Amino acid sequence: MEGILFPRGVVESREHLNNYRRRGGYQALPNIKNLSPQKIIAEVEAAGLRGRGGAGFPTGKKWLLTAQNEERPHYVVLNGGEDEPGSKKDRLLMENLPHLVIEGVILTSYAVGATNAYLYINQQYGAAIQSMTDALSEAKDAGYCGEHILGTDFSLEIFLTSAPPNYVAGEDTAALEVIEGKQPLPRQKPPFPATAGLFGKPTAVNNVETLANVPPIVANGHQWYRSFGTAESPGTMIFSLDEEVNRPGIYELPFGTPLRFLIEQCGGEVKNNKAIKAIQPGGPSSAFLLPDKIDLSLDHDSVRAAGSSIGCGVIHLVMEGTCMVEEALRIAEFFAAECCGQCPACRMETNVLATMLKKAQQGQGGQPLLEQFGKVISFNKGKGFCNLINMPAPPIESALSLFRSDFECHLANGRCPTH
Amino acid sequence: MKQICLVCQNVDCKSRGSEALMKELEKKVTDKGLADVEVRPYMCFGACQEGPNIVLYPEKSWYAGVKMEDVNDILDHLAGGPDVKRLDRIDPSLKELIYQLLDTGVF
Repeated sequence: MEGILFPRGVVESREHLNNYRRRGGYQALPNIKNLSPQKIIAEVEAAGLRGRGGAGFPTGKKWLLTAQNEERPHYVVLNGGEDEPGSKKDRLLMENLPHLVIEGVILTSYAVGATNAYLYINQQYGAAIQSMTDALSEAKDAGYCGEHILGTDFSLEIFLTSAPPNYVAGEDTAALEVIEGKQPLPRQKPPFPATAGLFGKPTAVNNVETLANVPPIVANGHQWYRSFGTAESPGTMIFSLDEEVNRPGIYELPFGTPLRFLIEQCGGEVKNNKAIKAIQPGGPSSAFLLPDKIDLSLDHDSVRAAGSSIGCGVIHLVMEGTCMVEEALRIAEFFAAECCGQCPACRMETNVLATMLKKAQQGQGGQPLLEQFGKVISFNKGKGFCNLINMPAPPIESALSLFRSDFECHLANGRCPTH
Repeated sequence: MKQICLVCQNVDCKSRGSEALMKELEKKVTDKGLADVEVRPYMCFGACQEGPNIVLYPEKSWYAGVKMEDVNDILDHLAGGPDVKRLDRIDPSLKELIYQLLDTGVF
């Protein structure tokens, strides 16, 4: 299937500068003086590009807030801190299509008026760092970045910073802290980075996949872009399937593709034809869905209407025979471990939820324990600097409501319904 | 009945001195020979702005904004004396949430 980012819908190998140029890469730069920053922002807004890091915020709107701010200088940060369990889309983009990503950074910097950009890449992604470093040097030699790009007034320096390998380090403002030489701790918001970001200046922080979509939009226009996907979720998204299917991997598909197509046609069906017990369509912080949602359209609005979220496209399938108390506990322990500890409410909530699930798993606490989950979650909602405090709620609450009998079995017998 | 004296050790209470409070309580509980009292850290009671927080359980007394000079009064209470009314200022709905959690065994 033809994609926007991966020419044939799948990753092949590292693309070198000449190949990228041959298929139309870096073509906007020689004519950049005929293309105003406002025009690029308008095109990206008209294309309806939404962030691919998880929140789905409109990219054009974020850029406009940065571009219009009178404070100078402006910065661009490419967020490749990716540490979501099961997600490797950003890594593969940087490894295989580094010039597409770098051109995205250059066009974004031009659009928001930035003269410095930072590539913030997970330090565990050695091959991605190498590939981006090599591509950056090729791009510099070709005159695509540095002083007076291709003889124009536009100058841009691009730097690379490695990101600590933990979940919170991928949060936008934690990334800014790391680039400033500090610990990866999220900042209180507002102010948002578009107003006061890197070194206190207006900054556009965008996910790798988001910025990889920019060169094709600028080259082909918003109408072409909107020929992929749905009206509310235009374009494509890279979906990740893990080991539950015969062909795990990442697949670029237009928004609106049925989940069944991804699992059956791309993933080659579930391994050993096992039955699906639950679907988690957007990474560990998304709510579980029942398997009757297999024909769900993979776009922001449809997944939200079904009661979950599409996040950064990591699809987790829970197989029949798996205990949902164990699943919820695994997720709660992940967030408790990844909580950075600076917001007391988040530390309290993530630790209490994990402890409560451990109690449930051991058959302690009885029905009153189950009644406490909602209270703890609503007491702490929104009380953290970043969104991590809200993340355990959807998977835990959906597991409790959709698979209550698993919990009741643990409470009654102190063991899994499946063992 | 055995009393557990839970001392919050989350970041906020710690920054207000809860670690030293816990040590002092442990020491004085031993010195006084209060065999039925156990001093234990707790992850958080969710009343950070009122910290350091100490909850006596299963009795269900909540002392907020505890300072070193309050320790002797809390010990007197643990030894059977009157409760320390001046330190009881937490919102009843939060008390209920936390007491219910403790009742379900979430320590």
